[in-house]
Amino acid sequence: MNCEVCQLKELEVEHFEIREVLRCILHTIVFHRALGLVRPKDIDSELFEITYVQCGDAELEKKIEEKIDQFIGWVEKHPNKKSQATWFSNKTERLYWEQWYINLNVAQQPKAHFAKSHHSKVVVDPGECALVERSVRRAALEAALREVLFQIIKFVNEKRDHIPPVPNVEGVSFPYEITIPSSSDSSFGMDVIKRMLQTGHPTMLS
Amino acid sequence: MALQGSSQSESGRHEQIISQFLLKSLHIILDSRIPSLSRHDLSGELTPVSRVRKSDKWFNLVLGERPASLEDLNFWHRNVMDPMIIDVILVHEGPSSSATDDLYTTSGVGVPVETVIERWVVQYEPSGTVPPQQVEAPASYKKMYQKAIVLLRSLYSIMRLLPAYRIFKQLSSLNQTYNFDLIYKVSSFGELLSRAEEKVMKQYSFAPVEAPSGRLSISLTYQPTLSGFNLAPSTPVPPNIITDYVGSPAADPLKVFPCTDKGIPATSFSFRRIHSPTSVPFQRPHSWSSGIHRVAPFKQNHPLCGSPPAHHTPPVPCHSSSPPDIYGYRIQGYRPPSHKKGISFDEHQLSPPFLPSPSPSPPTYFSSGNPFRTAQGTETAPVSIPLPNMGRNSRYTIPNSSDPNRHSLPPMSPRSTRLDLSSQESPSSGSRSFRKTDALRSGELSGFAQLYSGQKIFKDSKDDSGRFSGIVSSSGSPRVGFSRSSSRLSFQDDLDDCDFSYPFVVDDVDTSDSQTSRTPEGKEASESTSQAFPSARKSQDAAVGVLVHMLRTAPPLRQDYSCYSSQTSKSEFEGEVGSGSGFCVPRKTTDALEELKSYREMKDLLLSQSGTRVIKKEEAKPTAFVG
Repeated sequence: MNCEVCQLKELEVEHFEIREVLRCILHTIVFHRALGLVRPKDIDSELFEITYVQCGDAELEKKIEEKIDQFIGWVEKHPNKKSQATWFSNKTERLYWEQWYINLNVAQQPKAHFAKSHHSKVVVDPGECALVERSVRRAALEAALREVLFQIIKFVNEKRDHIPPVPNVEGVSFPYEITIPSSSDSSFGMDVIKRMLQTGHPTMLS
Repeated sequence: MALQGSSQSESGRHEQIISQFLLKSLHIILDSRIPSLSRHDLSGELTPVSRVRKSDKWFNLVLGERPASLEDLNFWHRNVMDPMIIDVILVHEGPSSSATDDLYTTSGVGVPVETVIERWVVQYEPSGTVPPQQVEAPASYKKMYQKAIVLLRSLYSIMRLLPAYRIFKQLSSLNQTYNFDLIYKVSSFGELLSRAEEKVMKQYSFAPVEAPSGRLSISLTYQPTLSGFNLAPSTPVPPNIITDYVGSPAADPLKVFPCTDKGIPATSFSFRRIHSPTSVPFQRPHSWSSGIHRVAPFKQNHPLCGSPPAHHTPPVPCHSSSPPDIYGYRIQGYRPPSHKKGISFDEHQLSPPFLPSPSPSPPTYFSSGNPFRTAQGTETAPVSIPLPNMGRNSRYTIPNSSDPNRHSLPPMSPRSTRLDLSSQESPSSGSRSFRKTDALRSGELSGFAQLYSGQKIFKDSKDDSGRFSGIVSSSGSPRVGFSRSSSRLSFQDDLDDCDFSYPFVVDDVDTSDSQTSRTPEGKEASESTSQAFPSARKSQDAAVGVLVHMLRTAPPLRQDYSCYSSQTSKSEFEGEVGSGSGFCVPRKTTDALEELKSYREMKDLLLSQSGTRVIKKEEAKPTAFVG
């Protein structure tokens, strides 16, 4: 059984956005891979105008939240480390038949002043500009996140032959695990992007 | 043989899977686009585990109850090979026209324009060649089913990522109304999109699911952005003073009351209320026909036209068995209004034979067989309604008499029982009683007008009715006694119902009369009586009015009167009463007074049976004023 791997597009996120981004992505993946009987639950993202779907499985949600907490904790402990990512794998009998790589580029806090502004108008109030900048970045992130979700959907539809038979269960049909990098695992085996934001210069997302 | 048998069962299963796939996808799409069909709240909380329906188990996706329209779809969509094309149509305001459409001129809004914002094509495409691996049919169907599960999950997710979902969420908001709406249309072939639409729309296709002899596919053509449409919250309609309030004969017969059901009132107006209850363009259900009849081309060549909204048994004109019923927004899980706590409007069907009511509504409105009546009635408290037209033998009961009797009505004087009943009825029964009251008040007034044509009493009817009630209340026992009796006149329901209007008129009189009754002296009552009946001509007219009122509340003419005939000699009365239509004939005052006398005697008898002491005080009255 071949193992399908999906590398999701990298997302530039700020620290406080990690949770929502990971929620969107993880729940979407799980919703498409928990092929047992589910009661879909629409969740409006708190930060973005995106509605994602949960499986309606409380235990699953709890587990995902725990993993997200772990990841956020890890990021806080290692702010200057390489861009972090989690990966999500489906496995059956210790055989991974699918792996998902979620690539996040956690930005540092941007400084107040910067040489250039994306906006044409003269910057008078740094605070206000920061807010505007944040909203621009937020919009860009939302668009990118939406693209990632579409990417997930596309992947799950195109790669269907490798899915094992679905047992007659409710909710999660296949065992899975969510792994976050640990400090000891320096070579994560992923194609991570090592770019870091150490200055306040805002990054333009292409 | 075994293979053939299994192949047949497998092909049956194959078709079943395809059919359910189509249904499920339609359910997903409509649930995510049509607010009126959305059965669960936006948070996605669905029915608990214990209530997983059979339909939910298909493809392991619990969506909740299917809208009724889907059931119809299941009925007509026999040929699973036909594509199912679902158009999600945005109804929005176009450029304002010069009042060409009288439906939308009240606020000068633009003519609604329908734009297809999404076109879903769900179909099973047969491959045309019989696959050689029929031996492996069971496994292949399972594989197909499993992949279909994934496909439907993707469909579900993507419904929430597309631009149209935001509009759906806005419309689903209960706190705001908008000047746009979403409707849908399901067909087996898609009307050509306009060039403008085609230019801007994008395509998206899901990877098809391979099936043993074909493939299941879902594709989409959609508007990538909806920012170009004028979508805004609708301007709230300024408050109007409602002159034709509910219950008024002039009220809109098709008016809908708040529904207890979750957003699906049991009328065709439901979508109006749900989508944009206060938005002017969408107030009139008739206006949706233009949108609905886009499906007209279907009628020519598709079996779906023959589809029956046989499921839609409710006799609602808008839900008549026409193909448009399939198309969406008229079908909103409509349930026959009969299932609701209903008030039979039989009583309203009865038009008083002697009451050529000037206000046309009561008889025509209710007796028109308007199917909405039950819908209206569904919104009011359940009340046992007598069946008035069951002849004169019918046991008379005030519709609410039995119920309010059980209420904590202070057992005041018997005369006030009815008034209290009616007064109690009106607040509790809400619109129904209002309707009855107002309808019958007008009927009552008209009845007065007729009976006392040529007399001046009409202008004083209101006052006199107060006094009449006062008089009657003072000696109100006959009326009450009659009400407790089992019989009523043919037109008595209306007359009785007229009594319901009395509380609005005579509440003050009731109070005074109650005081009167509590002082068990006939004097005051007699005083009021005598006051009401001066020796002048006007008092005679007033007396006649009282008589008429009593006659209305009297037991039925013939058969029931025969019960009383043994007690008093009522031959003459019977003769008069026998000709029930005689009430329609102007009678002399003396005849009326005679009748009044006889009724009073009847009243006395009844009350004596009930043991009320007040009656005895008043026994002297009839002679006082009749003589």
